[in-house]
Amino acid sequence: MNEMSSAQTITKKADGVKIAVRNLNFFYGAGKPSLKNINLSLLTNEVTAFIGPSGCGKSTLLRVLNRMYELYPNQRAEGEVLLDGQNILSPGLDVNLLRARVGMVFQKPTPFPMTIYDNIAFGIRLYENLSKSEMDGRVEQALRGAALWGEVQDKLDASGLSLSGGQQQRLCIARTVAIKPEVILFDEPCSALDPISTAKVEELIGELSEKYTIAIVTHNMQQAARVSKKTVFMYLGEMVEMDDTDKIFTSPAEKRTQDYITGRFG
Amino acid sequence: MNPLYARRRRSNSTAMTLCVGATLFGLTWLTLILITLFWNGFAGLNVALFTEMTPPPNAQGGGLLNAIVGSLILTILGIGVGAPVGLLAGTYMAEYGRYSKITSVIRFINDILLSAPSIIIGLFVYGAVVVPMGGFSGLAGALALAVIALPVVVRTTEDMLLLVPTQLREAATALGMPQSYMIRKITWRAARVGLVTGLLLAVARVSGETAPLLFTALSNQFWSVDLLKTMANLPVTINNFINNPDPNWKRLAWAGALLITLAVLSLNIVARSLSGGRNPK
Repeated sequence: MNEMSSAQTITKKADGVKIAVRNLNFFYGAGKPSLKNINLSLLTNEVTAFIGPSGCGKSTLLRVLNRMYELYPNQRAEGEVLLDGQNILSPGLDVNLLRARVGMVFQKPTPFPMTIYDNIAFGIRLYENLSKSEMDGRVEQALRGAALWGEVQDKLDASGLSLSGGQQQRLCIARTVAIKPEVILFDEPCSALDPISTAKVEELIGELSEKYTIAIVTHNMQQAARVSKKTVFMYLGEMVEMDDTDKIFTSPAEKRTQDYITGRFG
Repeated sequence: MNPLYARRRRSNSTAMTLCVGATLFGLTWLTLILITLFWNGFAGLNVALFTEMTPPPNAQGGGLLNAIVGSLILTILGIGVGAPVGLLAGTYMAEYGRYSKITSVIRFINDILLSAPSIIIGLFVYGAVVVPMGGFSGLAGALALAVIALPVVVRTTEDMLLLVPTQLREAATALGMPQSYMIRKITWRAARVGLVTGLLLAVARVSGETAPLLFTALSNQFWSVDLLKTMANLPVTINNFINNPDPNWKRLAWAGALLITLAVLSLNIVARSLSGGRNPK
């Protein structure tokens, strides 16, 4: 057992693959698939951006990675998504534990209707039984991690809803980070934010990538260029191209990618 | 002026006049009812109303203490039974069964129950509880009120939970939260003002019901808090007293009507201010 896990660690380090998507098809009900035969890998501690016109399937793909799609009827995924080599689409898997490992930050800031402190502590209490002082420490650590501590340390008892939009979004990031996930999925995290808040969140994503594997869906191509190492271009449910972000934005291999990033469509 | 535009202006003012007229017509009757009620009711208000039992016919004085207490007991019991069931059923419909066919069937049936004449519910409880138990009882009255409160709570619970944004559920789920935990800690919490409002509206609804109590709790001239015996209550007492030539009884009936109206009015105002406070416009 020990040997096996160390062997796995070595292979993991060797190829650095955190999430491997293999032959993934996704269906919203009957009919044609919304994701067609997707194959790609997310590398450990790297930021991967997903770009493409509306309806291309980038958010759908993200929602497969933590099985968020299962909240809705008739949605199903076929194929394999391997998290550290384990297929997360297999029916026996505990989705709650999966979601604790693969956190998600949404487009609209969604603080819970409770205090700032409880917004963070809430998720931690699900999985850990901490003393008050340990919990205080974890909350502070999470808020520092989301670059929000300085702004809220004097009003931890205020409602999470009393914060500004940008602060709320960083609170949501702190909440996600607090339960120590391995992967964080960002679904257009800045599209409801003003430019200054956007800059803060982008900076934060850069810092987070030192510890977490990150996937970010964005409509903003400059944002993809700023925050990510790898970029995936998707179109009509297909993955057109995945490469280093620099390469995608300077000399993409595919004509469709070039057309999109130069604004010819989408 | 352009004749076409002139015509539009004329039809606009006609429509507005009709609308304002209809509103005034409705308000007039409401105002007349309230004025009559206050005029007759305030004359009967005194301390004895709250300290003495209902008097025998052709006596002087007396109060409504047994009827007030009976109404409180029946309402609390009825809501105590109807509200939790309604809350859980509404939660099922909005959360667990949101996309299932059975939910739309339940909603349809619930809407029928919501608009069912309350006398039918009284008759049902009469057949289902009063006859087998061998007599009228406070328990049967409370059950009838529970059946009336149930669809109100189901409806408001479902509506209020459906107003909670899906993003909030997704965000909670994304933290690896099991569904029951998410419902109790997040969605109920986000909807709590609405849920309380629904509860208050249900209380307001049942506290004035007369017909279902006529066949179940009946009424009682005397002090009794025994749930297995007939129980005095305001609506049926009003009904009995107002139909009698005794001026003392008439006075008490008006006072009782005023009490119910004031209670319902204040519950509605509380419910309003609660739900208004959530989204200040």
